[in-house]
Order: sequence, then C-alpha cells, then structure tokens
Amino acid sequence: MRSLRAVFVLVALAPAGALAADYVGSDVCKACHPDVWATFYRNPHYKSIASGRETPENTGCESCHGPGKAHVEARGGKATIVAFSELSPPKTLDACLRCHSQTLSRANIRRSVHTQEDVVCSSCHSIHKSPAPKFLLAKNQTDLCYTCHGSVRAQFAMPFKHRVNEGVVKCTDCHNPHGAFAATWRMAARPRMMEQAQANEEPCLNCHADKRGPFVYEHASVRIEGCETCHSPHGSMNARLLRRPTVFVTCLQCHNGAGNFGRRADGVPAPDATHNMADPKYQNCTTCHPRIHGSNSDNYFRR
Amino acid sequence: MKTTISISLLVAAAAWAQRPVAPTNEPKGNPRGDNVADYNILQSFETGYRWRTVGGNGDMYRSTVNYGDGIRLLSSSLSVQSREGHGGLFDQILLNTQGLGNDPYQSATLRIEKNRLYRYDLMWRSTDYFNPALTISNGEHLMDTTLHTQDHDFTVFPQSNLKLFLGYSRNLQNGPALSTTQLFDARGDEYPLFANIRREQNEFRLGGELRVLGFRLNVLRGWQDFKEDTPTNLTSPEQGNNPSDLNALISFRRNEPYHGTSPYWRVALFREGKRYWAMNGRFTYVAGNRAFVFDEFSSGANRIGALVNHQVAVFGDARRPAATGNLTFSLFPTSGITITNQTSVNNIRMVGDSFLSQYDLGTAPSPVIPFTYLGIRTVANSTDINVRLSPWFALYAGYHYSDRHIASIEGQENFGSPAPAPPDNTPIEQSNQLKAGTLGFRIKPVKPLTINLDAEIGRANRPIYPISERDYQAFRARVEYRQKSFRASAYARSDYNTNSISLTSFASQSRQYGVDASWVPSEWFSIDAGYAKLHLFTLGGIDYFVAPAQEVKGESSLYVSNIHTANLGMRFSILKRVDLYLGYSHVQDVGDGRATPFGPARYTALPAFQAAQTFPLRFESPQARVSLSLSRKVRWNAGYQYYGYNEQFGGIQDYRAHTGYSSISWSF
Repeated sequence: MRSLRAVFVLVALAPAGALAADYVGSDVCKACHPDVWATFYRNPHYKSIASGRETPENTGCESCHGPGKAHVEARGGKATIVAFSELSPPKTLDACLRCHSQTLSRANIRRSVHTQEDVVCSSCHSIHKSPAPKFLLAKNQTDLCYTCHGSVRAQFAMPFKHRVNEGVVKCTDCHNPHGAFAATWRMAARPRMMEQAQANEEPCLNCHADKRGPFVYEHASVRIEGCETCHSPHGSMNARLLRRPTVFVTCLQCHNGAGNFGRRADGVPAPDATHNMADPKYQNCTTCHPRIHGSNSDNYFRR
Repeated sequence: MKTTISISLLVAAAAWAQRPVAPTNEPKGNPRGDNVADYNILQSFETGYRWRTVGGNGDMYRSTVNYGDGIRLLSSSLSVQSREGHGGLFDQILLNTQGLGNDPYQSATLRIEKNRLYRYDLMWRSTDYFNPALTISNGEHLMDTTLHTQDHDFTVFPQSNLKLFLGYSRNLQNGPALSTTQLFDARGDEYPLFANIRREQNEFRLGGELRVLGFRLNVLRGWQDFKEDTPTNLTSPEQGNNPSDLNALISFRRNEPYHGTSPYWRVALFREGKRYWAMNGRFTYVAGNRAFVFDEFSSGANRIGALVNHQVAVFGDARRPAATGNLTFSLFPTSGITITNQTSVNNIRMVGDSFLSQYDLGTAPSPVIPFTYLGIRTVANSTDINVRLSPWFALYAGYHYSDRHIASIEGQENFGSPAPAPPDNTPIEQSNQLKAGTLGFRIKPVKPLTINLDAEIGRANRPIYPISERDYQAFRARVEYRQKSFRASAYARSDYNTNSISLTSFASQSRQYGVDASWVPSEWFSIDAGYAKLHLFTLGGIDYFVAPAQEVKGESSLYVSNIHTANLGMRFSILKRVDLYLGYSHVQDVGDGRATPFGPARYTALPAFQAAQTFPLRFESPQARVSLSLSRKVRWNAGYQYYGYNEQFGGIQDYRAHTGYSSISWSF
C-alpha cells in the first residue's frame, strides 16, 4: 500500500515538480529494457525522441513513466517509477491526457461512459505490445470492443448485419470510444458515443448518402427519431436490418391514427379504407410507397 | 519480462469476433523485418483460393454471407519505418489490405507520415450488397450493388500548435436493382421496374487547428456534393402483381436527376484545464440543398380496362439547414470527483417546394405547388457526477432534460379559375419534454473483480410517435472478473417502455442476458466462449380495414423474439509449427414457441398479423482452420466454414453453404 501511495505521489509530482536532474534519458532505460527498446522506433511515441526538441519530461520513456533517476538508483522496482500496471484508472487517464487531450475527437473523454466505468486508455491500448498497425490498439478493434460489449457481438452474429466481423466496417465508423458530443437526433442525450456524419448528422449517412436528403417530403420519423426507429443498426434477424420481419407491421405500429402523435399532432395517419389488409396486395407497404425515406415528388412516398 | 508476458496474455484474453474463416488470423510471429538504408521494412501477404458450394436459396446466401470462388489476395501488410525518426520524404508507411481480387468485402488502409511535417491517411472500401429481401415487397426491391468509399485525410504539421487539415471523401454506389411503382390510381396495380442505380457523393474538407492561451480552436469547412441519376424503365408490357385484374402497363419511363450540395462548418473550442476543469464548445452548421427534376410517362390500361396514359413532371428544390451548438464544462474539485454539465441546442428546418404538373390522356389538371416545412428544435441539458469514494467504490448519477419543439406545415398552393382560397400555412406546433435520471455504482471489491450496476428512468410528456419513449426504465448489471490470462463476465440488461394513451397503447420490453469467458493458459492453447439471450416483446395498437371497407379497431400488433446466441473459439498450437482454430457460432430465434406461423389468435383476428408475431429461424456457422509453418517466413493455411440458414416456417429462403480456402502466407 505504501508503494502504491508512492506511485500516486510520483504521478502527482511528475513532471511539474521533478527536477531536470531527475531525468536520465531513454538511453539509460534501454540497458535494462532491451526488449521494449528494440522495436520502440516503430512506436508513435518515438517521435518525442526523434524530434530532439522536446524537454526531458516530454521525451521518450520518461514522458510517460516519469523521471527515472530514482528507479535507476534503486535498480528497478515499480515503486520508484510510474508503472501503469499499478496506476488507478483516473491516474492513467491523467497521464495520457497530458499530451493526448489535444485532439478534438477526445474533447469529451472525461465525461464519456467509458471513463465513468473505469475503461481508460490502457484498457484498450497496449503501448509496448500492440499487434495492431495503428493506434497502438491492444488487439484487433472489433475483438477489443467485443470484450465488454457481448450483446453487440451477439447482434453481429445475426444473419443480417453490417460487415464488422468481415473487417470492412469498424466500430469507430459510427462510434467514438473517447466520448462524443451529444447526438443531434432523439432525446435524453442518447444514443451516446456516436460519431456524427458531416458535422451533426447520424453516422449512417456517411455511407447511405442517398438517404440524407433533404427531401421536399421528409419521412418525419427519420429526422426526428433517427434511422433506428425502424432499423437495428448492429444486426438483425430480418432483412434490411428491420426491427420486424415484415414491413407492414413495422409501419402500422406508428400508423394507427391514435392520439395526438405525429407531425400533425392528430395521430399518425392510419391506412385508409382502400387498404384492405386482408388482401396480400396491401401487406407490402413499400411496394406502393418505395420512397419511404423521403421523396421530392409525392407526399405519400409513392415515387 | 514476466510482466510483459502477463500483459500479452491479458491482451489475448479478449473476446474474439467470429470472423470468416479467411483470411488467416493466426499470429505470424514477431518478425524483425529487414533493414534497408535508414528504414526497417516488414511485409506479409496471404494469397490463396476461396471456394464455395451452396444448396438451397442462393440469394439468401448472397444476402447474408456472399463469399464466392476465386483467387484472392486475402490480406497483406506493409510497414516501412525509419529507424531514427529522420527519414527523407517519410518516416512511416503503413499499408494493409484485405480481400483484394473480388471478395465482396475489400478494404485497404494507407498511412504515410513524416514526423512533425505531414500525415496522410487513406481508407478505401468496396462492399458488394445483394439482397432480394423476399419479405419486403415480395422481392421486388432486389438490390445488387457495389458501394465504393474512399476517405483521404492529409494533416500538415500534425504535432505543432498550428495544424492544417485537407480531406476528400468519395462514395459511389452502382448496380442493378428493382423498384416498384403503383399505377394508375390509388387502387391500381403495382409493377416491378428495373433501375440501374448510379449515385455519387464527393466531399471536400479544409480546416485547421490553432492553440492559443491553452485553448485549441478547431475549424473545419466542408463541401459535400451528391448526385443521383438512376434511370428507371420498363421495356416490355407488364401485367403487374395482380394478373387477374384489368390493369396493365404497356410502357414506362422515368428520369429523375437529383443533385445538390451540403456545405458545412464546424467550429470547436476546447481545453483540458490542467487539474480542475475542462471545457469544450462546438458549433456546427450544415446547409443542405437538393434540386431535382422528375419526369415520368406511363401508358396502359386502368382498373376498368380503359386505355390511359399518364405523365408527371415535377421540379423544385429542398433545403435543410441544420445548426447545432454544444457547451460542456467539467469540474474536478478533487481527484475523485468529476462533475460535468452539458448544454446542447439543435435546430433543423426542412423546407421544400415542388412544382407538380400531371397530365392524364393529355389533359392537364390544375398544377399544384406543395409547400412543406418541418422544424425541429431541441434544447438539452445534462448534469452528471462521478464520485470515486474509494479505490473499490464509485458512484455516478445524472439528470438529463430535453425539450423538443416541432413545427410542421403541409400545405400547397392551388391554381385555377376561379382562384381557390389561399392555403392555410399556419404551422402545427408541439413540444415534448423528457426528464431522465441515471444512477450507477461501480464496485471493485478485489482487483480482478468489477461490478457495475446502473439504472436510467425517463419520463416524456408528449412523444412524437406511438413507439417513442414515454415512460421508460433501463436497468443494467455487469460483472467482470479478470485475472492474468482468464477473463469472465456476465451481464443483464432490461429496457422497458410504455407509451399509453386513451385509444391505444404501446409497450416494449427488451431483456438481455449474457455470459462469456476467455482463457489463455499457455502459448499453445486458448479458448473463448460466450452465450447471450435477447428477449423482445412489443405490443402496439393497430387500426386497419378489411373487406368490405370495414375498419378494425382495438386490436394489437404483437411481436415476440427470443434469440439465443452462442459462440465458441479454440486455438491450439502444436510444437509451434501447426496452429489449429475451431470456431462455432449459433444464433437461434425460437420465437414465442408456436409450432405454426399462425399460432394462437392472440391480440388480432387477421391471420397476416398473427403470422407476423414471430419469425423463428436458425443461423449457424462452424469453422475449422489449420495453419502450418513451412519455414520461418512461409505458412500454408486451409480452412472450412459451413453456413446454415433455416427458417422454421416455410423455409423458402433456407440454404446450406460450404465454403473454404487454401492459401500461402509469407511474412518477412
């Protein structure tokens, strides 16, 4: 416990309170850690060494692990250096954000659900043993996310899904694991951790560009509640990632004329008397209303 | 060294995705590469032959799996890295590809970087999409398209206080498809049409980031251009979906070029305020605009058999400016407390008009100019607090308030003589306030064990749709145990929503449970297994007509789904020369337990609704792969994967597919 406290003190002090003489330089570190050093030139953090312009507290090993003099004099030991395996999650976050807070995509990291649940940098990134080509991920991105998100893994095992397991779509195409600005669709600041297309739209529109519009006749539910009103974005047992196996049930859940729902506040219009639902002809709504995401020439989305 | 090994084992103890059997995922060792001048070069590629045989519904196979036969560059990787960080034109090149050579899912990523000077990133993807969607429009909305996307991002001075960004993205979708149209009146017939999809989107980005007084100002300007000119036509007479009626289509032609731009701004200011505070603010504005012309001509027989021709010409434009503002403050009064307040404002206006002219047998009824408006303004504020009371116990809570105001106009101007009364374009307005509270605990009684419990309860006073959230509650529990090479977790989550009003009610219940574990006891053996259960139950009021024009009220649409998902993966390494992987994925929706599609007549008397209450099916996929090290640099790989899709009722889309591959991978 005492050693743990010493680590916290080190983190709190380093690098602001450390003296320049406490820094020994990365060349000293490699004497005892040759396995780390051997491939460190491939590590993005090597830039701080290659630069030659950074101050000692921002250079190489000691930029993350703090001044190494005490560690060297003690001939090693976790109590004399900032050892990330011993740091609490908030301290790990503090240590990384000392440099990595400078990116807009991480501007919301401290209030993200991941941080709230103690999922911090070292939970997903492996600084010295990353097998991933970029971002020092501890594992293939999909496997990494599935580690905690078992329910999402189950959805991507379904017959209809975005091709994440196939490697052509990534979780970060739609999500920002470092925390995101509030979604501009739906309410209660949900869904969370979403990337936004262009500057403020649902990420679905990055690929499904034809659904973006604007249309003269917008299907209001798409704009007000988002694509997930009708679709399950991760995976579904139903074609087109629909939430129901048949289209007419998907539609009629809202189009029942009840209450003060809908954009006219007098109920979402129910099918009129010409729609005999006992006739199979009327059980495929999108056959006659194919432009269901929006239309420019017909307010019933027929063309 | 011991620490290093344990870290690598921990990393290995993650859940594996059930990836397709190829490309080979077995580790290729840790080659040191070749040193050439000041660079170190690492390279690997895997090339081989894929095969498949499909029995049953090949279309469904293409919709859900779609791997075909042929020679592929299954994967490749190139890394060129300067050893001292002082390369000539570049310090790093990273190139990774997958599936090149005709796989349905191909991708390539490229990074070229010169320290402190520039960084270039490319992501290129090609995705084949095939889906007849038999359960949608009777398969008449088939799509057989390919989507090509590419994203280029170039950053100048990536490590300095002044950065410049340049970006370009391109999105192309091409391929044949079917669509439908319904003619010649509201009770006419439906006709399948051929469409050759041609969509193109280009986006250019320009921006910069500047650090001033500890703040970072990030500005991005983008221009997005989209156009679609999918022709739709019918070259031979068509009886339509209901050949017994008198409707018939003799000729059909439709052109609808559609083009527009969406220029946008994003301005952000953010600062990590040392120890006690952080803030960020963001403003975005997107000005979407689309212009269109629609020209359609059709001729045939109407529902009483009379010859008709019908022409529709529409032109106009649609506009959707959207502005968003976010302001977030985070306070850290002590090292264990984080308080965050976020305010966001989102304002979207959708305005459009189209001039419509319609000719029936050459006679032009009065043209109309419909005018529509939909405005959505949402103001939200949320406050969250996260208190770390001790290293083993933390508490977090939050209160979220959202106010959404919607204004809608659906009007039109009519022309004629005498002039009709002017339309009433008074907007219909409504507001919905949603108040939600969250509360959660994080408990870590011992270092390897983490327990999370949290809940969210929300109340809305006027949701926009019957299925929207009104009175909802979500509860979640998660337990995770991590000890060196072993990890196990279990979770449970329930989401309930009730949206009841006097005439109808909607209720949805979702419950999820799952357990998974992975264990990497040694370098030659590892295992990963998981099970998840997803229960869905929704009940919503419906209102419909049955013959003869008889309205049915008071019935409900029921949907029940009970999905069991299991996965298993095992890796063996024999004498460090042979790697063997066995995997299995099983997804089964057992529905509500009924034996026939129509089941018991619950909630509705109409058989079509009864049959839509549940849709049990099974989708399973075992796989096996062997990878043999032939030399330090070369491996031979082979694998087999089976896909089985089986619907409990009907089964017209069932298939069984045997797929496999054999490849050589080379790394140095």
